[in-house]
Amino acid sequence: MAARRPRRRTTRSGWTEAHVRRLFWRAGFGATPAEARRWAGRGRAATLRWVVDGGPGPQLRGAAPTVNGKPLDPANEYGHDVLWWLDRMVRSQRPLVEKMTLFWHDHLATADQDTPLMLAQNQTLRRGALGSFRGLLGAVTRDPAMQLFLSLADSDKAAPNENYARELMELFTLGSGYTERDVRQAARALTGWQSRYANDHFQGIRFRPEAHDAGIKRIFGRSGRFGTDAVLDLVVAHPKHAPFLVSKLWSFFVSEPPRRATVRGLASIYRRSGLRIKPVVRAILSHPSLYRALDAPDMVKAPVVLVAGGLRASGQGVHTDDWVWLLSNMGQTLFSPPSVAGWEWGPAWMSSNSMRARFDFANVMLNQPQLKVPDDSGNPRLAAADQLRRASGATGGPWVSGRAHAALMSLASGTYADLKTDDDQGRRNRATLLQRSLRHLLISGPDAQLH
Amino acid sequence: MPSHDAHKGCNDFRQTSEATRRRWLGPSLTRRQVLGAGLGFGLSVYGARALPLTRMLEAAEAQAAAAPNAPVLVSVFLPGGCDLLNTIVPLNDFGRYADLRKHIRLDGAPALGGSGLGIHPALTTGARGGIKGLYEAGKVGLLPGIDYANPDLSHFHSRHFWETGLITQDAAPGWLGRWLDHHGSPDNALQGLSLDYSLSPVMRSGGAPVAAVYSPGEAKLYINGTWGKGLDQALAAWDRISASRPRGPGPAAAYGAARLAKQVGDRLAPYAKQNDRGPDPLAPPVPYPAGNELGKRLGRLAALISLPLGVRVATVDAKGEFDTHDNQPGDLDKALRSTGEALAAFQLDLETRGVADRVLTLVWSEFGRRPQDNDSMGTDHGAGGIAMVVGSRANAGVLSAYPSLSALDREENLQVTIDFRRVYASLIEQWLGTSAADVIPNAATFGRVQLVR
Repeated sequence: MAARRPRRRTTRSGWTEAHVRRLFWRAGFGATPAEARRWAGRGRAATLRWVVDGGPGPQLRGAAPTVNGKPLDPANEYGHDVLWWLDRMVRSQRPLVEKMTLFWHDHLATADQDTPLMLAQNQTLRRGALGSFRGLLGAVTRDPAMQLFLSLADSDKAAPNENYARELMELFTLGSGYTERDVRQAARALTGWQSRYANDHFQGIRFRPEAHDAGIKRIFGRSGRFGTDAVLDLVVAHPKHAPFLVSKLWSFFVSEPPRRATVRGLASIYRRSGLRIKPVVRAILSHPSLYRALDAPDMVKAPVVLVAGGLRASGQGVHTDDWVWLLSNMGQTLFSPPSVAGWEWGPAWMSSNSMRARFDFANVMLNQPQLKVPDDSGNPRLAAADQLRRASGATGGPWVSGRAHAALMSLASGTYADLKTDDDQGRRNRATLLQRSLRHLLISGPDAQLH
Repeated sequence: MPSHDAHKGCNDFRQTSEATRRRWLGPSLTRRQVLGAGLGFGLSVYGARALPLTRMLEAAEAQAAAAPNAPVLVSVFLPGGCDLLNTIVPLNDFGRYADLRKHIRLDGAPALGGSGLGIHPALTTGARGGIKGLYEAGKVGLLPGIDYANPDLSHFHSRHFWETGLITQDAAPGWLGRWLDHHGSPDNALQGLSLDYSLSPVMRSGGAPVAAVYSPGEAKLYINGTWGKGLDQALAAWDRISASRPRGPGPAAAYGAARLAKQVGDRLAPYAKQNDRGPDPLAPPVPYPAGNELGKRLGRLAALISLPLGVRVATVDAKGEFDTHDNQPGDLDKALRSTGEALAAFQLDLETRGVADRVLTLVWSEFGRRPQDNDSMGTDHGAGGIAMVVGSRANAGVLSAYPSLSALDREENLQVTIDFRRVYASLIEQWLGTSAADVIPNAATFGRVQLVR
């Protein structure tokens, strides 16, 4: 059935399928109708616990995908890195971990590096996705892909490269509240990392004390013989850091900007926990703002959320490499963010062109076995509401607005208007086309772009 | 500033991600035909015919009618970093040139009359003597030594600077997209056109509608496995759905994009091929080089420019290997030949259609190459590249100083003799006729070069 009118299965806390759907979309990649029913029944606390802390059992459910008859080869085959991660998003039983890995891939954006390095970085981000921010920052600062991308590798005391120091403060931790001098001094403190090559092949990064500037630096008004870890300690202790990071996390999950009091509250949770990410995310996912206007989703789905969500909803895995060019045309190629500032989220995802790509996405979806409507399978005796129910069932009961629902109903009920009542073959054909159209519009329409 | 580590050699290229690499190597990723197998394509056009065109004519035709002779700026990107020294050869300093190019010296490059420079022989082929012919006819302005101060030799970074017109690693709309934000129409996506499956970063706007269109047939919204009346009905439902104007930036963006996507497809539907074998309504009136992808796209662009669609700025990417770390003689010859022949046919096409006076093309690449060749018959990333303006009203000649081969910079690179933002600012003012300051920050500081006559 069209998800517009969810069954009012509520617990005493007022926790409905619509709440589950909102939470699962924002914290992951959507809920199947079965998941929505199950977690609406179990209540708010249990659902949040499962989403944030995870449940027992394996992290990935179902069989690993094959594409063109072969298992994925993310390190070597073009586009398979994208498919490999997409598959995790689809099959994960810890969707929040994948979603947060995506957050960090955007927030600590790295691009333009060899695929094996990017895949290794992805594992680092996943391991630290909900842990200590300082721990994650330390790991990413030492990460070869990041070091090569932002020229921290081979920045030596003779000519400190300011690239990493600058982005560390501007994009990763502070946003404001530091000076050019802080950047330059931090760049000195961060020197000493060196890339190693053998036969033109990258061998890794190592720290060479003789390339490190061991002198006294002055950062944020404090002086010392700071090194890499001291710089990281200083930036996360900076008063701007907590509000900066919790605001960024908030805007990943909630479309309306956070109130000042909310930022203060989240920053305090973050600090009290010893700069751990999970308590902040738990607080955001529990916040009433996340559940506002359940009948009018207002956040644009990122392309990869649309694709992973569409596959999850219709109960299928990654079995074609078409998702690679589709995601690229929609403007989001995983492992290849457009700049060190990551992707532009929200309304910026939408354009005539990306919409066109999302329309194509629905066409490819219609070609998948779970959604394919066989030739001559139409049933013209099915009532309009039943046609729509069938299409909605196949696509995982996506949300549609009242007006869109009315337009689809009117499409379904008017589809035979120009045919003679005894034109059986014509009516059967038209019923087939109608079922295809309804499925397509449920996947491609403007409502499907929102969560 | 970003590092100069790319100087270290070809490693930079090998270290780039496959995805980025792919962008320079051309579209070897197969784009499966989404336009369904069998039934779909030919029949879907039936739907377009039956649609009332009046509504979507409005935006495009209003814009075109308001300014039928509005100038059009075309950006042609040579991906990879095109070599200056072997493309436009410094015949007047040939000894020094020969010292630098020990392995890949180009002998006998035809001279460009009076300039002291020669041109790669691959640029002398094609319609009316190719680029060399156009130069002699006064339709090409060369910009050797083009770059920016302290050039960054990462493809990724340098491209981003050229695409946005900003020296920043932050995401930003493209410079032509920003021009449309200021001076474009709020409702005609065809005003900014990338002849491609995805939008060029040059064309990304902050709000003005723009479109990527590989061909009119593929712009049309089409639902797999539907046709005729059934498809018409579904697309009419799409129109009814997307007519809503919900509040909030997210919903407004999604619904607006749904309307625009449909508008682009509908507007171009009359120019789509009826089926794979049918006549192409956009078929060019002059021959284009066979099997030349850039030529194919430029041919379509010439036709779209000549129609009342309100096209103002357009982007096309050239094909071929300009990132000539090795085997430069063969690769550069091939890449320049296909690019030059396509551009020569495009110019003849525009003249034949009678629109050449309002089209100017900027050809550019993200950087140049090192003056000294390497041991793999190639050249590594370097500063001071080559760009050119092509068109009936281009200011012809050599418009910037050719970099000295004896006074290299401290990285052993060519000195930059003209900042690309000087070219952008000049194009905006002299060709598009608006102030450069609202697109290029600090435009006044870059000075100007006469690019238009």
